Amino acid sequence: MKRTEKAVKFRLKTIWHIKRFNQEDLEANRQRCKWAITLLFVSMSIFCVRLCYLQIVMGRYFEERSKNNRIRSVRIQAPRGDILDRTGRLLAGIRPCFNVCIIREDVENMEALLTRLYPLLGETEAEIRTRLHVGSTEPSYIPVIIKRGINWKTLSMIEARLFYLPGVSIEVTPAREYPYGSVAPHLLGYLGEISEQELRSGRYKNRYPGDLVGKCGIEARFEPELAGKDGQQKLEVDARGRLVRLIDKRPAVSGDNLYLTIDLDLQEACEEAMKGKSGAIVAMDPQTGQILAMVSSPGFDLNDFVKGITKTQWKALNNPVTRPLLNRAFQCSYAPGSTFKIVTAAAALEEGIVTKNTILNCGSSYRLGRRVFRDWSWRGHGETNLHKALVESCDTYFYQVGLKLGIRKIARYARAFGLGSKTGIDLPDENPGLVATPGWKRRRYHEPWQKGETLITAIGQGFTLVTPLQMARLISAVANGGRLYRPIYMEKILAPDGHCVVSFHSEVMGTLPVSRSHLRTIRLGLLGAVQEDKGTGKQCRVSGVHVAGKTGTAQVIGQARRRRNEKDMPFKFRDHAWFVAYAPAERPELAVAVLVEHGGHGGSVAAPIARKVFERWFQIQSPRPLIRSPKITNNIRGGDSHA
Amino acid sequence: MHNRRLLEHFDWWIFLAVVMLMVIGFINLDSAGTATGYPFQWRQFWWYIIGIIAMLGLAFFLDYRKLTTYFVGIYISIVSVLVLVLCVGKTVGGSKRWLSLGFMNFQPSELTKLVMVIVLSSYFYHNDRPQYCLKDLLVPGAMTLVPVYLIYRQPDLGTALFLVIIFVSLVYMARIKWTSFLISLGSVLLLLPFAWERLRPYQKGRVLSFLFPERDPLGVGYHVLQSKIAIGSGQIWGKGFMAGTQAHLSFLPEVHTDFVFSMWCEEWGFVGAMLLIGIYVLILYRGFLIASQTRERFGAFLAFGVTCMLFWQVVINIGMVMGLMPVVGIPLPLISYGGSSVLTTLSGIGILLNIRSRRFMFQKERG
Repeated sequence: MKRTEKAVKFRLKTIWHIKRFNQEDLEANRQRCKWAITLLFVSMSIFCVRLCYLQIVMGRYFEERSKNNRIRSVRIQAPRGDILDRTGRLLAGIRPCFNVCIIREDVENMEALLTRLYPLLGETEAEIRTRLHVGSTEPSYIPVIIKRGINWKTLSMIEARLFYLPGVSIEVTPAREYPYGSVAPHLLGYLGEISEQELRSGRYKNRYPGDLVGKCGIEARFEPELAGKDGQQKLEVDARGRLVRLIDKRPAVSGDNLYLTIDLDLQEACEEAMKGKSGAIVAMDPQTGQILAMVSSPGFDLNDFVKGITKTQWKALNNPVTRPLLNRAFQCSYAPGSTFKIVTAAAALEEGIVTKNTILNCGSSYRLGRRVFRDWSWRGHGETNLHKALVESCDTYFYQVGLKLGIRKIARYARAFGLGSKTGIDLPDENPGLVATPGWKRRRYHEPWQKGETLITAIGQGFTLVTPLQMARLISAVANGGRLYRPIYMEKILAPDGHCVVSFHSEVMGTLPVSRSHLRTIRLGLLGAVQEDKGTGKQCRVSGVHVAGKTGTAQVIGQARRRRNEKDMPFKFRDHAWFVAYAPAERPELAVAVLVEHGGHGGSVAAPIARKVFERWFQIQSPRPLIRSPKITNNIRGGDSHA
Repeated sequence: MHNRRLLEHFDWWIFLAVVMLMVIGFINLDSAGTATGYPFQWRQFWWYIIGIIAMLGLAFFLDYRKLTTYFVGIYISIVSVLVLVLCVGKTVGGSKRWLSLGFMNFQPSELTKLVMVIVLSSYFYHNDRPQYCLKDLLVPGAMTLVPVYLIYRQPDLGTALFLVIIFVSLVYMARIKWTSFLISLGSVLLLLPFAWERLRPYQKGRVLSFLFPERDPLGVGYHVLQSKIAIGSGQIWGKGFMAGTQAHLSFLPEVHTDFVFSMWCEEWGFVGAMLLIGIYVLILYRGFLIASQTRERFGAFLAFGVTCMLFWQVVINIGMVMGLMPVVGIPLPLISYGGSSVLTTLSGIGILLNIRSRRFMFQKERG
C-alpha cells in the first residue's frame, strides 16, 4: 500500500512537476480564502436583510402593488331611469350607444389604420387625431373613444371590417333615447358631461369626468333618482392588459323610473299648436294642480344632445334673442293684459265696489285729469255690467272699477291670486313675476305712484308681470272654486323592481278670497267671453264642450308709439297674446294658459291655439257624455244670472 | 485502488446541495414553464442529467492536474469557438450568442467562464511569483481581454464584464503589489467615461435606471420594479406553487432566466428564499474551504476560481433582481434555465469535487 502511494506520488512529481505550497504560502492562501469567506457571509447577510425589508417590512405594500397590477376595477355604468308620461308611455328611455374605440396597444400600423378608418366614420382627420392625442396620456391598453353614437349603418360596416382594423373595437354605453321624438324638451331637460365645477361641488356622488349628468329640467332635478347605482367588475388582467378572468362582479342598479303627470297626446298637440310661434302653453288639471302639458317655444331637439352637440348648435341654442333653452312657461314673465281683469273683477265684487248688476257707462275712452285712457274698441261698449265687461273685455269699465279700488287693493288681490310670487313648482329658476305697489315703485324708481298707473294696472298693463304657469294656476283656481294648487308635474317614482318610492300628492297652497257666488259671477263672465257672440274669446269654442276663458293682449310699448295696423309694427313691438281658459265650464277638468310672444291679439291668436288644445283633450277623453243639453246650460246660466 | 479513497474524500455536502438546487430549479421552472407556456422544466431536466454525468466524470475520472498541461489548447479552442459564434452564430433578440448544433443551441460564452478559470489558474501556476506587479499581469490580462472583446461584440456586456471579474478575483488570489493595484484602479476610473461612450443605448439605460430607479418607471426600471413587487408580495410564506401572479400574468420579465429568483421568492416567500440562499452559502463556503485547504498552488487557484465564478453569479443575479445592482444578463447557477449554464456550473463543481477528493494525495508528506 505504502509503496504504491509512493509510486503514485513519484509519478505525479515527475509528470506534472506539482509544486506544493510551503508553509508561508499555505498560510497566505488560507488568509485570502478567509477574506473571501467573509465577503461571502457579508454579501449573503446583505441579501437576507434586503429580503427581510422587501418581504417582511414592505410585504404588505408590495402585495398591494401586485394586486393593483393585476386587478382592474371596471365600472359598469348604471342605466339611467326612464321618464314616462301619465299613461306610462316612454318619453325618455335608454338605448345602447355604440362608440368606436382604438386600443393603441393593439394597433400595428396607426397610419394605415387611420386611412382605412376615415371614410368609414366620415370624420375629419384632424378631429380623430385630436381625440387620439387627448387619449394618449392614458396607458395604451385603455380604449380611446374616436367617435360616439355611430348609427347602425356605420356600425355594421365597421363590424364587418373589424378583422382588417386591428386595434379598433366597439364599446357599448347606455345613452338617452326619446321614442316619441323630442317631446317637452324644456321639462325633461338634457344630459351633458359633468363639468369640473359640478364635480367639485360634491352634489354628485360617484361621478367621474366624462360622465353624463342632467343639466336642466327633470334630468337635473331628479339626478340622484335617475342616476341609479353603478356596478363594478373586478377583472384579472395580465401585463398587457388582456383579460384573464372575472374575479368579482357587482351588477349595476338602474335608476328609478319617473312617471310624469304630463299627457303625451296633449303635450304633442300643444307643441304642434305652438309650432312656428314663440311663447308657452301650460295645461293643468284644475282639480289637482297636475300639469298635463307644458310647452315652451321655440324648443330644441334633445337628440342633438345625445349625439353630442356641435359648437354652432350650441351657439344657436344660446341666441340672445330667441333663447330656445329658456322655459317660457315659468322662467319668463309678461304683462298679463286683460286676463288680469279676472283679478280686478273679483276684487271689485268682494270689496263691494260693484255688484254683478252695477251698470257703468263705458265709452271709447276714460279721462283722468289730463290723460285720456282709451278702450280697445273705438266704438265703446255703452252701458256695461260686470258680465258684459268680462265678455267684451271692456277696458273703460275696469278703469273706473280700478280707480275706485285703488292700487293697494288690486295688488292684494293679485297676490291672493298667486301672482307676484313663485308658484312653488319643483324646478329651478322660477320667475316670481311682479305685483307692483306704490312702495315698490318708490323703492325701484324713487317716484311716487300715479293714479293713471292704477288704471292701467286694473286692465293688466303697466308694471305687473306674470308667468304662463301662474296664469294657468289662477284660471285653475277660478275653475275649481278657489283652491290654489302647487303645480306638480310628477306623479310617482317607481324603483326598477316596481315598488313605489315616492308618490306626489296635490297640495293646496291657498284659497282665493272670493265668495262662491262672486266666483260664479266671474265664471259666467268667462263662459260668456267664449260662448257668447260678442265674446272676445269666441274663437276658442269647441263643439260639444263649454269653454270658459279670458283673452289678453299685453302691450309691449306705450300707446303713443303704436300704429293702427298691427302688421306695420316691428315684431319685437307687437303685443303678447294671452288666453286663459278651462273646460268644461260645468265641471272643469282642463285649464289652459296660452301665451304667444308678440303674437298680436289674444282673441285672434292665442284663443285658437287654446281651442286646439281643448279639442285634442276632449277627443282623447271621448267617448264621454257630451254636455249639450240646454237644460243644464240654462241651469248654470239661469241660476247665476237670476239669483 | 485509490478510488475508494477518492470516494472517502468526496464532499457529500456539496453534492447534496447541488441535488437540492436541481430539485428547486426543476420545481421553479415547472411553474415558469406553465407561466410562459413553454416546457422549460423538461429540457432543463435533461441538461441536469447530462450535467451530473459531466460533474461525476470530472470528479472521478480525470485528475484535475492534467488540466495544467492542456491549458493552451483549451484556451485556443475556446477563442476559436467564440470567433465562430461571431461568424455563424445564431441571433436571438439582437445578439449573436448561440451556436446551433442542430438538436440544441449552445452558448460558448457560458463555458468561457469556466475555461478562463482553468486557463488563468494554469498560467498563475506556471508563472509562480511571490507578488505580481503590473508588468507580470500583462500576459494574463491580454489572455482575458481576447474572449472579453469577442463576447462584448456579440454583444453580451454582462458575461464580458464577468470574465473581468474572474480575472480580478484570481489576481487577488495570486497577490498583487499595492502600487500596481492602485495604478490599475486609477486607469480603470480614467477609462470609464470613454467606455460609457461605447455602450449601447439599452446598456446605458440599464445602468442609469439602476443609479436613478425613479427615472423611468415604465422603461428599463419597470423590470426591476416588477421584480421587487414579486419578491415583496411573496411575504413570509409565499403565494404558493404556481400561484405567483406577477410571474404567471407576465408582469415579471424573463421569468425562466434572469428573474428566476424573483419568481421563487414570490411563490415560496422569505422561507423559500432563505432556503435557497442557505444552499448557495453551503456550496460556496465548502468551495472556499476546499481552496484554502488545498496544499498545492494549481488546485487552490482552480478551486478558488470556480467558487468565485459561482459566487459572483449568485451575487450579481440576486442583487440585480432585488434592485441592488444594475440589470445584467447573468444567470443564477442551476436555477436559471439554460443548458450551457447548467453544464458549465456542474463541470465547475465537478472540478471542485475533484480537487477536494485528491487532497489526501498531499497529506502524507506533511505529516
